Amino acid sequence: MAKTELSQKTKTEIEDSSSLKGTLASVFLLGFFLIITWVGVYSLFISRF
Amino acid sequence: MFYPSAKLKVDRRDGKLAMAHFFVAFTALAIGGLAGLLQTLVRSGKFELPAGIGYYQILTVHGVVLGLVLTTFFIMGFQIAATSKTSGTLTNKQRLAGWIGFWLMTAGTVLAAIMILLNEATVLYTFYAPLQAHALYYIGLTLVIVGSWIDGAAIIMKYAEWRRKNPGQPSPLLTFMSLVNTMMWIVATIGVASTVLFQLLPWSLGLVETVNIAVSRTLFWYFGHPLVYFWLLPAYMAWYVVIPKVIGGKIFSDSLARLSFILFLLFSIPVGFHHQLMEPGIDPAWKFLQVILTFLVVIPSLMTAFSLFATFESFGRSKGARGLFGWVKKLPWGDARFTVPFIGMVAFIPAGAGGIVNASHQMNQVVHNTIWVTGHFHLTVATSVVLTFFGVSYWLIPHLTGRTLTKAMNKLGIIQAVIWVIGMTFMSGSMHAAGLLGAPRRSSYSEYGGAAQALEWIPYQVAQAIGGSILFLGIILMLYIFINLAFFAPKGEQEFPVGEPADDAEKAPMVFENWKLWLGITVVLILFAYTIPFIDLIQNAPPGAKGYKLW
Repeated sequence: MAKTELSQKTKTEIEDSSSLKGTLASVFLLGFFLIITWVGVYSLFISRF
Repeated sequence: MFYPSAKLKVDRRDGKLAMAHFFVAFTALAIGGLAGLLQTLVRSGKFELPAGIGYYQILTVHGVVLGLVLTTFFIMGFQIAATSKTSGTLTNKQRLAGWIGFWLMTAGTVLAAIMILLNEATVLYTFYAPLQAHALYYIGLTLVIVGSWIDGAAIIMKYAEWRRKNPGQPSPLLTFMSLVNTMMWIVATIGVASTVLFQLLPWSLGLVETVNIAVSRTLFWYFGHPLVYFWLLPAYMAWYVVIPKVIGGKIFSDSLARLSFILFLLFSIPVGFHHQLMEPGIDPAWKFLQVILTFLVVIPSLMTAFSLFATFESFGRSKGARGLFGWVKKLPWGDARFTVPFIGMVAFIPAGAGGIVNASHQMNQVVHNTIWVTGHFHLTVATSVVLTFFGVSYWLIPHLTGRTLTKAMNKLGIIQAVIWVIGMTFMSGSMHAAGLLGAPRRSSYSEYGGAAQALEWIPYQVAQAIGGSILFLGIILMLYIFINLAFFAPKGEQEFPVGEPADDAEKAPMVFENWKLWLGITVVLILFAYTIPFIDLIQNAPPGAKGYKLW
């Protein structure tokens, strides 16, 4: 029986309405932007001083 | 959370007090904006000021009128309206304090403005000694600050009254936030008041011959950095509390908002050295300590970013949005009350990134005193903060004047913000770029004897003039909208949007209202960060400086 149930399992993607995965992605993008800016000026600093 | 003290409408008498502040603020926008336009035109090298007006004189006008007058008046007006709306109508005594504060600030502004226009106070907005202005200029600015304390007292008295009447209850969020900002302002302005009253004023009156420059600059920047948070926190008030209501959502977390404001109170003051990283006379170890404290202020800003994304996503998903970014499409992009402050929020991302670079101790050498810094604060205060203030004006002005924001004005508001973004992208973008190439800030147009490096900067200066001209169009449009909303828009009811936390939210912890604790930590941090450096600066001081009038 267990085998049949496994094969019958349908692939329904239920998205939780309280999900904050977009927020997670957004704050990561924001963090990457901060790091890229900082590293950019840091490399200028290293090359000049 | 429902507060019985909350009013549907700000009382007419309180509204008049707030509007008085806004009239001064928008007059300042007109004058300061014109001065800014002239500056960018001069710096392009294609234009000279007529009638012997000096570049540094208009630079002083621009800085003082926009950085100190527009901001302080708008903020005080907004906070008074927000407190009156959420904690109830001001008592006659509280309102009287508000009016006394307003008139003192206005008298001080007029006095300082006259001295600048007479070319007796061309000392830039940071009034850096040994540049020496006429004593009346310093007296005028002192009146502005003392006036702001009395104005702020109205908010403190209202808060105290609310707490007395509602024991054991957390105060309304907008009142809480106005109070935090007022207290931060009072603690911070003690620094600038000290340098003006004990150093600059006696020196400009000739009572003492010289002044200790390093102490004066340190006292100024003790004030100068919390000043930028004093500008920013009212924008955060709108972002945390007003915007959720405008879009039809809920405040993501009332407690998180309170915590971030408390963190700003603690960490935004003992950080002034990050404006003085290149200055001699301060031990690098103390600079490093203040750099660390500066980086701690990044935390509440990142909390704010998270909280806003979460507010938007929760709202979008409640409307059926799917996917990673489907919620973006559900936001009310046609509503100027949302879109204009939203653009301000987005601008704060590059603005904040630049700020982290500025504060990174040795890395400050790359950008120190270059026009990069000017580009930076034109993103923070002149885009994030100012666009949010414009977005607030679109509902607050008609709310207070008993009028409505029409569809036409709403559309014009969005167009205004788009013009602002275009102008600022040109101006601030080229300022950042030229700054990385070494172009100095503050200074007037010069070819520096034809030096090759200086020639590189000129195309960027032309771009700044183009951006400055576009921004000036934006200012004219904003003034038109302001006048319409204050005098001509159709009569009606415009909502004062105040967001509410989600239904299942817990009550905010009462520890946030424990001012003995928070002010105590604030004072301890300030004493820790500043006591030894000040002893050093005073004990090992070089000979003081005479006053200079180089204009």
